Amino acid sequence: MIEFKLNGAIVSTDDAPDTPLLWVVRDTFKLKGSKFGCGAGLCGACTMHIDGAAIRTCLLPISRVAGRDVTTIEGLGTPENLHPLQAAWHELSVPQCGYCQSGQIMSAAALLADNPSPSAADVDTAMAGNICRCGCYGRIKEAILQVSGAALAYDAAAPAQETGA
Amino acid sequence: MSILNVSRRGFLKSSGIVGGGLVVGFSLSGCGRAPLPIEPEAGGFVPNAFLQISPDNSIRFYCPRDEMGQGVTTGLATLIGEELDVDPAAFDVVFAGVHPDYNNPAMMVQNTGGSTSMKAHYLPLRQVGANTRAVLIEAAAIELNLRADQLETDNRYIIANGSRYPYGKFVNTAARLQAPEAAPLKSTDDFRYINHTFPRIDAVAKATGTAEFGIDIDIPGMHHAVVRRSPVTGALIESVDTSAAKAMPGVTDVIKISSGIAVVAQKYWQAKQAAQKLEPVWQEVPLGRMDSASLRHDYEQLMAGEDGVVAADEGDIEAGLEAAHGTLEAQYWTPYLAHAPLEPMNAVLNIADGKAELWSGTQSSQAAQGLVARFSGIDPENITVHNTYMGGAFGRRGFLTHVIEVTEIATAVDKPIQLVWSREDDIRHGVYRPSSLMKIRAGIDAQGNVTTWDAKRVGGNVGVDTLRSMLPGLFPGLGDGTINWMVGMADTTVRGWIADPTSIEGIFEDYDFENVKVTHTTVEHGLPLAFWRAVGHSYTSFAKESMMDELAIAAGVDPVEFRLTNTQNNPRLNNVIRIAGEVMREMQPAQGRYLGFAAHHSFATDVAEIAEVSIDNGKVRVHKVTCVVDCGIAVNPDVVRAQMEGSIMFGLTAALYGNLDLEGGAIRESNFHDYPILRMNEAPAVEVIIVDSGTEPTGVGEPGLPPIAPAVANAVFAATGQRLRSLPLKLQV
Ligand code: FES
Ligand code: FES
Repeated sequence: MIEFKLNGAIVSTDDAPDTPLLWVVRDTFKLKGSKFGCGAGLCGACTMHIDGAAIRTCLLPISRVAGRDVTTIEGLGTPENLHPLQAAWHELSVPQCGYCQSGQIMSAAALLADNPSPSAADVDTAMAGNICRCGCYGRIKEAILQVSGAALAYDAAAPAQETGA
Repeated sequence: MSILNVSRRGFLKSSGIVGGGLVVGFSLSGCGRAPLPIEPEAGGFVPNAFLQISPDNSIRFYCPRDEMGQGVTTGLATLIGEELDVDPAAFDVVFAGVHPDYNNPAMMVQNTGGSTSMKAHYLPLRQVGANTRAVLIEAAAIELNLRADQLETDNRYIIANGSRYPYGKFVNTAARLQAPEAAPLKSTDDFRYINHTFPRIDAVAKATGTAEFGIDIDIPGMHHAVVRRSPVTGALIESVDTSAAKAMPGVTDVIKISSGIAVVAQKYWQAKQAAQKLEPVWQEVPLGRMDSASLRHDYEQLMAGEDGVVAADEGDIEAGLEAAHGTLEAQYWTPYLAHAPLEPMNAVLNIADGKAELWSGTQSSQAAQGLVARFSGIDPENITVHNTYMGGAFGRRGFLTHVIEVTEIATAVDKPIQLVWSREDDIRHGVYRPSSLMKIRAGIDAQGNVTTWDAKRVGGNVGVDTLRSMLPGLFPGLGDGTINWMVGMADTTVRGWIADPTSIEGIFEDYDFENVKVTHTTVEHGLPLAFWRAVGHSYTSFAKESMMDELAIAAGVDPVEFRLTNTQNNPRLNNVIRIAGEVMREMQPAQGRYLGFAAHHSFATDVAEIAEVSIDNGKVRVHKVTCVVDCGIAVNPDVVRAQMEGSIMFGLTAALYGNLDLEGGAIRESNFHDYPILRMNEAPAVEVIIVDSGTEPTGVGEPGLPPIAPAVANAVFAATGQRLRSLPLKLQV
């Protein structure tokens, strides 16, 4: 029996100790916001916060989480009560398919908690572990910088012009 | 070898089979062949297959197309909302079930793909909205004792004498009236949602983890299945010892299915661990003797040979080359690719009491339903398909072997089953963008006109494999023998008589060549092929636009001017090239950065792109891409921008990294470490310029992809003098 904190509540599970946290959260606690993308620590879709740090959970055995504090996307904000990053994600229409976005937002939230005013290069470094197959990178970066109060320094931020034929 | 003279017009027309030329009945009134597919709930008014308006004024939109990230829910809600006068964000959007009313007007079947959705629904769904609004006004006029022309609407409300009445107030009366069939549509000047930018309607759900994907479905009693498949496609099981797997915790069943061995357990992780314990021995198949080098050798041999189907033949190639002021010949290679959508394939199936319920995000609910029917023996009318959000598709989710697998498993073990593929399954057991070897011989005159274009492609045919994959699901009543015969006929046809349009689309159509010949030679080694974002255009653009650059440079003409000269008969593409050229002229790339240009027409849309690159430590780095697109009216300009951004990133991943190698017939790559996807630190800034040509909408999900690889290759040439004619781009050091 392994006990840990999940989005503020103490939970326990008798899943095998080598079961990765991702599958315990998804299959046992039925929180489906954290996603499975690669199962190999390569894509970041499964990112959660463990004691505040952004961690890939598809390889992390549940035994390593005993007594620790786990936050998932469900614990970050809700549609009625959006985290500022989630509000920016909406305002800038960041998601395409949306599958990577829980992981992206969890990585971004950990970054901003650590470094409230990151440079564009800091964002690149912090987010390099999160793949977006739909290629939403420009908007993800713009949303993070917007929440941190910074303007985006590169041209993608400029509104596209409409040109008459 | 057979020669078939197909004029360019005829060629383009036949390409329309795939591009979406077939318009068939789209039932606007609900008077289709089958009864309306939705039941009114709690006094709801169901005027047609697309809408349910409740007395509390909530309005549900049954979205007929599938959402894979392209923004189709936002786009279609915008079309219907514009005429119904409902803010698209106010709809409760659900994915439609399987019914003929939901067929894609561009395809005759209930499929999503080919960048057709906005084009095909632009008028029909607006008409549905207009007809429904008209009947609501008529009902309000009766109840309020006013004339219809005294009433206005404003976002879900009827406005009468300055008072606002919710649409929901009139649903009872409206339900008794006959809606008109052809209520007048708004003029484009009156649009308040179409061609306006507002956030995607699914952004909040997707930013909060509340959007439900297929993999998120969890039903009572659900067991989890993992399948072990042969590393070499098509090999059957010789022998397997299942005892170790069966002894693992949580495991309930280990069974053989047509694609391999399925392990069923109470939890996913248990099934996954147990599947690792299997050591199946597979039969040998010819593909098992192939590796990348032998495969490439076959392509080269066929390229050198005389065999092939002539797909286009105009003027006289040999005379054209003879008379040319200068000629060039070059050969281009593009590899097999996987789609690698971030959500791996998955499906949930519950079979009980002679009925089945399937949950899976697919590009064809109809085919999914048909496959469950075919492999379970249950009638399609007893099979409910719940489509879900898809975690990416790019063509992949039109190919539904996972639905066959889940049906075989659930039928055999008699439990609700969720099947989830791993990333390794996805890369190694998928369906692939075919590899291509392309050769172009071209001649130009002294004025810089390309007079002659002789193109040949060697590779597999996606069209045939699409039939092989789709027919069993779309026609569950057809026997295997009939289907095999039909697929065989198609294969014989494209090998010997008429080229598969998707194999060569885009290789010559854009420019004003006088003498054109396109030849195609089929080679297949047994890897299943699939539509992959932009299909044939994803590779023909690389050969065509690289060759145009080579010709321009050989002629000493600016590459943009060169393309303008050669698109006199193609005004829309010419205009996009001109606008992009003006932008390019103003660019002042920093020291060490170089520009490359390419343009391409696909899915009825014209796109030109400028890539700004540098070479860092022998590697190509793309800093910025500027994209000029004419896709007619942009239904939501910001979604158009997002699709251009996404297509560019997708195409850049292919240009810089994308490659699958064969080793003993098996795909060598397995996950994102050896099949890398572009990451944020490698992603360029993208600027999108939408040309507002005011015509009806054309494709958006794919046309941004074809120009990017050649634009980057052309920039690499500018930077280094190296002409890279193979993808992925690798500099010689
Ligand atoms: S699923 Fe964990 S990093 Fe990809
Ligand atoms: S939005 Fe599709 S993977 Fe990121």
